[in-house]
Amino acid sequence: MKRVSIDVGGTFTDCLVLDDGGLREFKAPTTPADPVRGVLDSLSKAAIASNQTIEGFLEQVEILIHGTTLAINTLLTGRGAKTGMITTENFRDVIEMRRGLRDQDVSMFDIFVPPYEPLVERRWRIGVPERLRYTGEVLQALDEEAVWRAAERLKAEGVNSLAVCFLYSFVNNHHEKRAAEICEEVFGAGRVTSSHEILPVWREFERFSTTAVSAYVQPVVADYLDRLQSRLHQERFGGNLLMMLANGLVQTVDQCKGRAVYLLGSGPAAAPSAALNLSAPFAGGDLISVDMGGTSFDICAIRRGEIPMTTESWVGNHRVAIKMVDVHSIGAGGGSIAWIDSLGLLRVGPQSAGADPGPACYGHGSSEPTVTDADLVLGYVPADYFLGGSISLSEESARAAVDTVGRQLGMETEEAAQAIFETVNAHMADLITEVCTRRGLDVRDFTMVVGGGAGPVHAAFLADQLGIGTVFVPSVAALYSAFGMLSMDLGRDFARSHVSRVDKVDPALVASLYEEMEDEALAEFAPMGIGRDRINFTRTAEMRYIGQFHEVEVPIPNGTVTQGTLEGSVQALHQRHQDLYSFSMEWMPAQFLTFRLLATAARAPFDLQRLEEGAEESPAIKRVRRCRWNGRELETRVYDGDAMGAGTLIEGPAIVEEKTTTVVIPEGFTCQVDPFRNYVLRKSLVNASGNGKRASDSLGGRR
Amino acid sequence: MTETKSAIAESSTDPVTVATIWHYLQTSAREMRHIIDRTAQNYLIGQLHDVSVGIWLANGETVAMPVGLPVQFLGSGFAVRSIMEIFDGDLNSGDVILTNDPYHGGHNCHLPDWGFFRPIFYQGELLFWTLARAHQQDTGGSFPGGYFPNGYDIHAEGICIPPTKVVEKGRERSDIMKLIWNNVRWPLGTRVDNYAMIAATKRAEERIIALIDKYGVGTVLACVDEMTRRTEAAVREEIRRIPDGTYSGEAATDDDGTVLDEPVWVKVDVTVSGDEMTLDFSRSDAQRKGFINSVYAATYGNAVAAAIMIFDPALADFHNEGTIRPIRVIAPEGLVVNCQYPATVGASPVNVGVQVMEAVLEALSKAVPERSIAAWGKHRGDYVFAVDPRSGERYVRTSFDYDGSAGAVWGYDGYVAVSCLTTMGAVNRGNVEEEETRLPWIVKKWEMIPDLTGAGRWRGGPGIYWEAVNEGSDGQMATGSTDGDVVQGFGAQGGLPSPVSRCYIRRDNEDMLIAPHRLVQIKGGDTVIKISSGGGGVGSPMLRDPEMVLRDVVNEIVTINGARDEYGVVIDQKSMSVDFEATAALRAKAG
Repeated sequence: MKRVSIDVGGTFTDCLVLDDGGLREFKAPTTPADPVRGVLDSLSKAAIASNQTIEGFLEQVEILIHGTTLAINTLLTGRGAKTGMITTENFRDVIEMRRGLRDQDVSMFDIFVPPYEPLVERRWRIGVPERLRYTGEVLQALDEEAVWRAAERLKAEGVNSLAVCFLYSFVNNHHEKRAAEICEEVFGAGRVTSSHEILPVWREFERFSTTAVSAYVQPVVADYLDRLQSRLHQERFGGNLLMMLANGLVQTVDQCKGRAVYLLGSGPAAAPSAALNLSAPFAGGDLISVDMGGTSFDICAIRRGEIPMTTESWVGNHRVAIKMVDVHSIGAGGGSIAWIDSLGLLRVGPQSAGADPGPACYGHGSSEPTVTDADLVLGYVPADYFLGGSISLSEESARAAVDTVGRQLGMETEEAAQAIFETVNAHMADLITEVCTRRGLDVRDFTMVVGGGAGPVHAAFLADQLGIGTVFVPSVAALYSAFGMLSMDLGRDFARSHVSRVDKVDPALVASLYEEMEDEALAEFAPMGIGRDRINFTRTAEMRYIGQFHEVEVPIPNGTVTQGTLEGSVQALHQRHQDLYSFSMEWMPAQFLTFRLLATAARAPFDLQRLEEGAEESPAIKRVRRCRWNGRELETRVYDGDAMGAGTLIEGPAIVEEKTTTVVIPEGFTCQVDPFRNYVLRKSLVNASGNGKRASDSLGGRR
Repeated sequence: MTETKSAIAESSTDPVTVATIWHYLQTSAREMRHIIDRTAQNYLIGQLHDVSVGIWLANGETVAMPVGLPVQFLGSGFAVRSIMEIFDGDLNSGDVILTNDPYHGGHNCHLPDWGFFRPIFYQGELLFWTLARAHQQDTGGSFPGGYFPNGYDIHAEGICIPPTKVVEKGRERSDIMKLIWNNVRWPLGTRVDNYAMIAATKRAEERIIALIDKYGVGTVLACVDEMTRRTEAAVREEIRRIPDGTYSGEAATDDDGTVLDEPVWVKVDVTVSGDEMTLDFSRSDAQRKGFINSVYAATYGNAVAAAIMIFDPALADFHNEGTIRPIRVIAPEGLVVNCQYPATVGASPVNVGVQVMEAVLEALSKAVPERSIAAWGKHRGDYVFAVDPRSGERYVRTSFDYDGSAGAVWGYDGYVAVSCLTTMGAVNRGNVEEEETRLPWIVKKWEMIPDLTGAGRWRGGPGIYWEAVNEGSDGQMATGSTDGDVVQGFGAQGGLPSPVSRCYIRRDNEDMLIAPHRLVQIKGGDTVIKISSGGGGVGSPMLRDPEMVLRDVVNEIVTINGARDEYGVVIDQKSMSVDFEATAALRAKAG
């Protein structure tokens, strides 16, 4: 049987197949107009490689794990649904006033920025009479007639996705549920998103905003998933189709269709677990995972092997309060377009040439210079062996495109390419510094783990700039997130808000909340044939000292909930508060706010194949190519990565070419092949020598 | 220091190290704010972020000024220097000094803002200072919250804490803290907040020591020096671009709360000469009996912040001592902008704080039209003190919920719903679900309202309507931090000023108008209604794109009548589209 993961990025669709024959990688261009086609293309490639028809291949696939940037791209490019909102009367501006918050990434001293544009325009936010008290008691009954009228008016105005957001629906969801039913009658199933289903947690701004985001991307995501499912079934796929979610878990398609917001970090959320998994035997667990694909550059700082999670995300300008893997992203990738701004300065990104037309060197008619064009002009990526030769690149088109900015800068082609290369590197290095220092971490204490098609081309230069000594390039770098998905646990997190003092809380009530969530989890796992014995439940609670405004998450033991269990959590609160904030307050009473349950079923583990030790003494110099290193042209050795044995040591400047990856090793770095065919690049402090078999140097010494 | 100086001279300041150390210090300061934010129990701190932090050199020069209220930290160098003098030879690692005093070397804005200062030593040498300052729930005085009018003098406004060691060599001086807490109304909560602030300064100390361990004293100080130098050069270049000359601005608060209905004026003459700028407030009114006075350090902080706003936004992330050096602030003693003991200062962060900023922005908008910034909606922050029948405990409700929106800037409409100018949008509003859980009030309506903002080619953010019912006991409401019922905020370059705001108490179906700077009775069952205007506009409204006006009409930010009367845009109600011909005619007539 096979396990397959497919990651649809902005530029490429990556397909990773795991079976008895080991791990195999396939790539097909992403097809933005109909991403399903790209998925099928990548599967066809996999089928052909094993001499099978796509039907024959898919019949053997037990699990297909899928990640997609569709939701996030839809949100960031503003291509979501025309969205409406039905909300509590007199409170229709919650998502526009957004608690008076200014844009998160803008300094308080910069006020020359446009006001926030909410995802639901004011004219399509309609209040209906209804009101609850904070206890859940009804102050004003729901005016169902008003809901009908509002829904019909929005439908008539061409709105095609609806968010239903009422105050206190996390305590009492009856009004919200009833209003959603009415809206579904008007709009049809799958077009209505309720706040209590997306995030049944208090604080209306955070809940409404998250719900609006979900509703905004919902139709695009749901349509895609429907089409994907039916196409796969047509091709005789009978296994489980699982989706990679923002919270670092995977879920069946049906369970995530109504909660599209969870697909926001799909793909990138898998990368940190790839970093951990691949580099585990090698590095200590202090890792910077970087993933540079065609469109975006994603990073995650992993400390002591713990993947950071957050409920404080902003995606673009929108608050998303679900719990997500803490991955930061900017628009910088191989397809990022270089341009000249109004001050005459060179900028790179965030606009991307994407998959279609792609960089100028693809020859699909684009004449805008991209990072990949610069990489080609500098000699780093091979014109004839890009993706193993499946896409042939036109150096002529690349040079012509680079010249368009070169002319404005008064630079020769190579100089301009160098400038593009350095600009995008500086941009990425800044993000890495920012993410690390924000958490009080020094970037230099970390090992960089690099994925994405363009990652291994740029990584050593980034590391050099940041003072990072070691760069780890996995053999599956080009299918980095896809690899992360294969090692992902199946599961979901649940939450129930219940605000209560610890000394007054009823243990039976807490028990019933956990029971409710566990039953829900069991029901979700059942269709996959997973019973209680295979499910791991992890209980936590968000607690605080009475009067505080923010919570800390503490573990709650499984099993019977007693007063003793709950009191034990107070000790955990003191400890956690001390760890996070350097003090605790034993003299203050504590309270619970939200109880959380994480339900997971571990995936079967798998082993990667080991390389044979040392293969051959003089490996693999494939050819020599002129490359440009910091302004100097050098004849540079190019190695055939697919033919190198474990332990091989190469000194930069050099290039390693593999089918899906090109690793660039600048001067001052060495590169060693590890037993799993990963590359370990190290900044050489002195002239590195000794350990490891040196690749023979047919050029007769370093130049 | 000579050893340190030679170490600096030998240190490398390559750009990567400079950037790394700079970001690290900024991040340490942000982390301080995060700790306070996460652990405090005071609504103003925990949810609304009325808190500031920073890092200074031993000589009081500003190193890192991340997010916060300018009035709480931009002038803190004065306090650092006077603390150095007061405790000369008696400062040790592990000391924490508390002050809230506007006078006696505290250089503080008003009494509720308590600042905890910590000297940071490395191998016995004092190298840095860090400060966490935040608005306390209460600071004693005649009424809770600090924003009540008519105090007899500063002592009536609350407990005055001159620079006082509250932690000595790591040990809390409990008797002193107990004395202080015994003089405020919510000692337990205040204790939590004070510990949060002290913990934040401790975290900054840990971070800075770790940084020096890694890079050495010389490199760290050299990098700070280098960043300051670069920032100063960039700011001087910015100032040089402003045409030399003197530009004037003025603004007034409705009254001083004691002498009623008589506006109090702040006037500034901004003189730009080469790469230096002088903000001269000499023409402002004399200090008042009422509580709207501002000490020099507070005036300084607000004035400099306003000047910074007009600089190139690309510099926004880098401000430090280098920014401040080319700017001089003149405010003669005895004026409302440099009041002397024992003047009351309760309303100072809002009035005349806002006026100090407005005057500077009005002047600079004349100097640099393409960076014009109009006045923001005034603060409308009423304080209610009463009893919550659910717990039987006293509470004070402090809030930014009822503020309007920001003014326009050249190129953009004003931000929606950010709080008043002196906060620069660094404070936030609450959630209804959080507020009703905590306080015995039911919010009836909280929405934007049409036609209550300064029109312009770019208009102010919308006005905001807030209405809530008191389900608790009888009590009092202080409107001391409110302003703008009489005096309007300015519009720039032909933009209209921000309209006036209103507050009512509805009792037995009768609406009573409540003026700013008053203290009034409030009863159980009363409804409080706040109608708060947005900011001023920038550029003539006759130049606004009619399609943008239409969009505002469709979204009910501007009415059809408003579109016609203020913007000269005629909208056909049936088709909901712009009648371009009628619009052109109307605008031509308007000239």
